[in-house]
Amino acid sequence: MTSTSPRIILICSGKGGVGKTTLTANLGIALARLGERTAVLDADFGLRNLDLLLGLENRIVYTAQEVLAGTCRLEQALVKHKLQPNLSLLPAGNPRMLEWLTPEDMKKIVALLAERSDYVLIDCPAGIEDGFRNAAAAAREAIVITTPEVSAVRDADRVIGLLNVQGIQPVQLVLNRVRPRMVASQEMLSVEDVTDILALPLLGLVVEDEQVIVSTNRGEPLTLQSAPSPAGQAYLNVAQRLRGEDLPIVDPSKEPTGLRARLKRILTKRLF
Amino acid sequence: MAAALIPALAPDQLHLLRLPQGERVASAQEEVHQAVRQSFLQGAVGLECGDWLLRLPDLRDLQNLLQRHGLELRRVHSLCPGTLVAAAALGLDHGGSLPVNRASGKAATSAGVDPLTVHRGTLRSGDHLHVEGSVLLLGDVNPGARISAEGHVLVWGRLRGMAHAGCGGDRSARIVALQLRPLQLRIADAVARGPEERPPAGLAEEALLVDGTIRIDPASPSWPLPQ
Repeated sequence: MTSTSPRIILICSGKGGVGKTTLTANLGIALARLGERTAVLDADFGLRNLDLLLGLENRIVYTAQEVLAGTCRLEQALVKHKLQPNLSLLPAGNPRMLEWLTPEDMKKIVALLAERSDYVLIDCPAGIEDGFRNAAAAAREAIVITTPEVSAVRDADRVIGLLNVQGIQPVQLVLNRVRPRMVASQEMLSVEDVTDILALPLLGLVVEDEQVIVSTNRGEPLTLQSAPSPAGQAYLNVAQRLRGEDLPIVDPSKEPTGLRARLKRILTKRLF
Repeated sequence: MAAALIPALAPDQLHLLRLPQGERVASAQEEVHQAVRQSFLQGAVGLECGDWLLRLPDLRDLQNLLQRHGLELRRVHSLCPGTLVAAAALGLDHGGSLPVNRASGKAATSAGVDPLTVHRGTLRSGDHLHVEGSVLLLGDVNPGARISAEGHVLVWGRLRGMAHAGCGGDRSARIVALQLRPLQLRIADAVARGPEERPPAGLAEEALLVDGTIRIDPASPSWPLPQ
């Protein structure tokens, strides 16, 4: 048992497809690897994906819905990850049942999960309608994820406004799918452009990485690997910062380019 | 113009629901319904009635209406004694007009002094702040947010959204910001798109109406701030 109260974190973005579910899956695995008892709750039950990304689709028997109805115990509905037993998944519901969930239900489920976890991550559906409202009902803090695109930043801004009204604090930012080359050539919003508008503390910066697609299709989050790819490492760093470790954030577009710098980078990587 | 629902800035504050002043086009119930219909806000609300006379059944209606939208009527501000009596009868917390608005009474306006509302905090995408006199915003106006006032719009921060000064038709109204980079500017009935190029850093600018078109100048140091 830990003395501190469990952290209940909403992962949201407003816009769809910017990487909420990928972040939830990777962060869940990363926190579990760091020894935290972590529960991930898929609040996007209409378009349920978190189980796919974690490779747990075929193990789901019950959902939170049955837990609330008293048909099963929480332990029966929780799906433990094969390789990281510290991580368990609870799907909020069945995609065919769209109407049952209320903010009250959500609070009950999260309270149950919080009793047995250090971290509860809530994967929020896209949009700012009822699904978002339900998912946000039980959260104490939030991570807003966005990509360096005008539309994603605009939607994130709206979501941050709504989180502020609900009194959810702190709200931190993860910037996903950054392409350092495009930023350097000013074809893409820079990290400053985004943090300038959103005015949130930056929790992590994830570069565009093809391995994310591979890992999604396999159902094996990048953070499972012992030597993760760049994006996987970035997700691990997010988990470490979330636990309070002070890791500097390196802006990849600011790294020196040119032959000498590249050579130096290769050398230091090989040596250490 | 519907009633304005202004979100609280801190979780322990009340949201502010302000009934429109001046011309009455709808009942208070309709005005409030318009304001809360699309809103996300939950929690306690203070109702700013101005000079509306709301009797006990009206207030009770409003109370029920707000409750259906997840809002709780906690406090009533009014300049009209009848409304205060009704609020007291319902056991609601009540008082005169809010301090920021006390200066905006009729007497002040007729004396030629602009009333000023100060709002602290950044307006994010989707937010809309409307005030009746002039507004001073301590914070940014982000892209997708709107700020409008019947008088001047002053932004102590970056203006990157939409600003409308002189909503009621005052063509002498100005828009001033520490960094003026709006998507769109409106003064009275004139509309202009924001400048394409980045503004010079560290230079406050103001927009004003000259010969029917909106012009942007470096902000005048002798800016006549409303008293």
